[in-house]
Amino acid sequence: MENTEHKAGKKRKKFRIWIPIVCVIVFFLFIWPFYELVNMSLRDITDYSSRLTLPEVMHWENYLEVIKQSDIWIGFKNSIIYTLTTVFLEITIASMAGYSLSRGSKKTTRTVRSIQMLIIMVPGIITLVGTYSLMVKLGLTNSLIALAFLTAAGGIPSCSFIYMNFINSIPVQLDEAARIDGAGVFTTFFKVILPQLTPLTVTRAIMISIGAWNNYLLPLYLLNDSRKRTIILVIRSAFSINGGDRNIAMACATCTIGILPVVVVYLLLQKKIIASQIGSAVKG
Amino acid sequence: MQKKLDRKYFLFMLPAIIMVVALRFFPIGNAFRMGFFNWNGYSQDMEFIGLGNFKEVFGDSYFWLALRNTLIYAFGITIVKNILGLALAFFVNNKFHGRAAIRATIYLPAMISGFIMGQIMYYFYQYNGGIFNEILIGLGLEPVYWMETGLGSTIIVLLTTSFLHCGSTMLLYLAGLQNIPQELLESARLDGATNWKEKLHITIPLLQPSMITSVVLNLIASFKIYDIISSLSGGGPDGGSTSLTLLISKYYFGYNRAGYAAAIAMVFFFVIIIISVPINKWLSSKKVEY
Repeated sequence: MENTEHKAGKKRKKFRIWIPIVCVIVFFLFIWPFYELVNMSLRDITDYSSRLTLPEVMHWENYLEVIKQSDIWIGFKNSIIYTLTTVFLEITIASMAGYSLSRGSKKTTRTVRSIQMLIIMVPGIITLVGTYSLMVKLGLTNSLIALAFLTAAGGIPSCSFIYMNFINSIPVQLDEAARIDGAGVFTTFFKVILPQLTPLTVTRAIMISIGAWNNYLLPLYLLNDSRKRTIILVIRSAFSINGGDRNIAMACATCTIGILPVVVVYLLLQKKIIASQIGSAVKG
Repeated sequence: MQKKLDRKYFLFMLPAIIMVVALRFFPIGNAFRMGFFNWNGYSQDMEFIGLGNFKEVFGDSYFWLALRNTLIYAFGITIVKNILGLALAFFVNNKFHGRAAIRATIYLPAMISGFIMGQIMYYFYQYNGGIFNEILIGLGLEPVYWMETGLGSTIIVLLTTSFLHCGSTMLLYLAGLQNIPQELLESARLDGATNWKEKLHITIPLLQPSMITSVVLNLIASFKIYDIISSLSGGGPDGGSTSLTLLISKYYFGYNRAGYAAAIAMVFFFVIIIISVPINKWLSSKKVEY
């Protein structure tokens, strides 16, 4: 047995020579867009030299100019408000629904499951067409909170089922014990069950945050006041208003700063994020 | 006792139900109603024209073009992403130093807004000074008009999107690979299966649940594609790479034809249902959870 294993190991070792080569190719392919973004952001307005190599003179002052403008800070502020509200709404409502799906009658669970798919399928554009005129009438455009409600509603179905799967693995005896101690359903959930799910809640919060931070279609049409723009819309206007070749560098600098929070969060938490993505794929 | 509890549990679900009904079901109903009116989206007078909008949709060549593109995007991205994702998952599943870093790098573009990634990739395909053309010129070749034809742009958007977002598919397959019992693979190796034979005859069939999940999720997501097209090709040239999502927003917000846009949205919705429901049925017969 040991002998064969040793042999198999040896065979695979030989096989592995190309692994570092593929590694390097894959790494550079996926980093390339980001390299170009930074590369273009460091250029002078009139620099038309090759984008493959870094410019001769690095214009770091582009970044200074961007952070001196108020636009980007307004964008960050709005994105943070919008993201946090979305996370709060989606987590609270979906975890409660998940608890109900797990502990309530199985018939309801089956019915909800069949509807879930339908909700996931609805494209954002249909939601937008169906709600836009109403939101204008009710004065809810340019409201980050209204936008958060609209966004959270789309994520609730799948998030509820993820919570349901995790709550299923918590023994019902725990609920019963809490109930014997005199806790109501509400207290049982928020004081006993939800704290058990903190790791799940953290990873869900990260994923919902990234989704909301990156959201484009709904903010694009529902936030037209320039003081209510999210960071993605600030980046968009940096690319479109300046247009042409003239201010690509500034737009790219805005873009780099704009995506930095997501990149930093991702790099710091990538182990957790990837593990949760793999885990949720397995758990369903 | 249980009944009383069930009622309490139902209360826990109530906020979710209200949210979904008010912000997902109601909009569909409202869009459906709007489809029967000639309306610009803001004025007081809505003229009821029955099936007029729907008739116009089926005679609209831009609709058919956008429908064709939407189907190309949905199926094309699903296929390419699955091939790339599976290949990368096999690669990353090897044990080597730095594989966590490679995994994280592959998934990175999927973490950034599609609009922004599309905007960056736009500079790769530009004719003048575009990065791909610079490479071609550097190799002594003629530069290419990447976005010259509608179908060409559609395929460029398709491939770019698949490349940028294949990380999520890779993770799905990685999860599947890690769930395959090692003994199975070892016994195959003892029977003399080579690496490729092992992958083809043992690993890939065992990945079927992951594959089904991945196909369904990617199909649904790719039908909705909007962000990357809007910044990468803008739906151009001349609407040649536009999708139904872009067409709807163009009619609604660009031409102020809310009623007509709503009619297209409804046709779009039915297309999604017609394609997804049989797939869904087939899947539930397979008893695979996703």
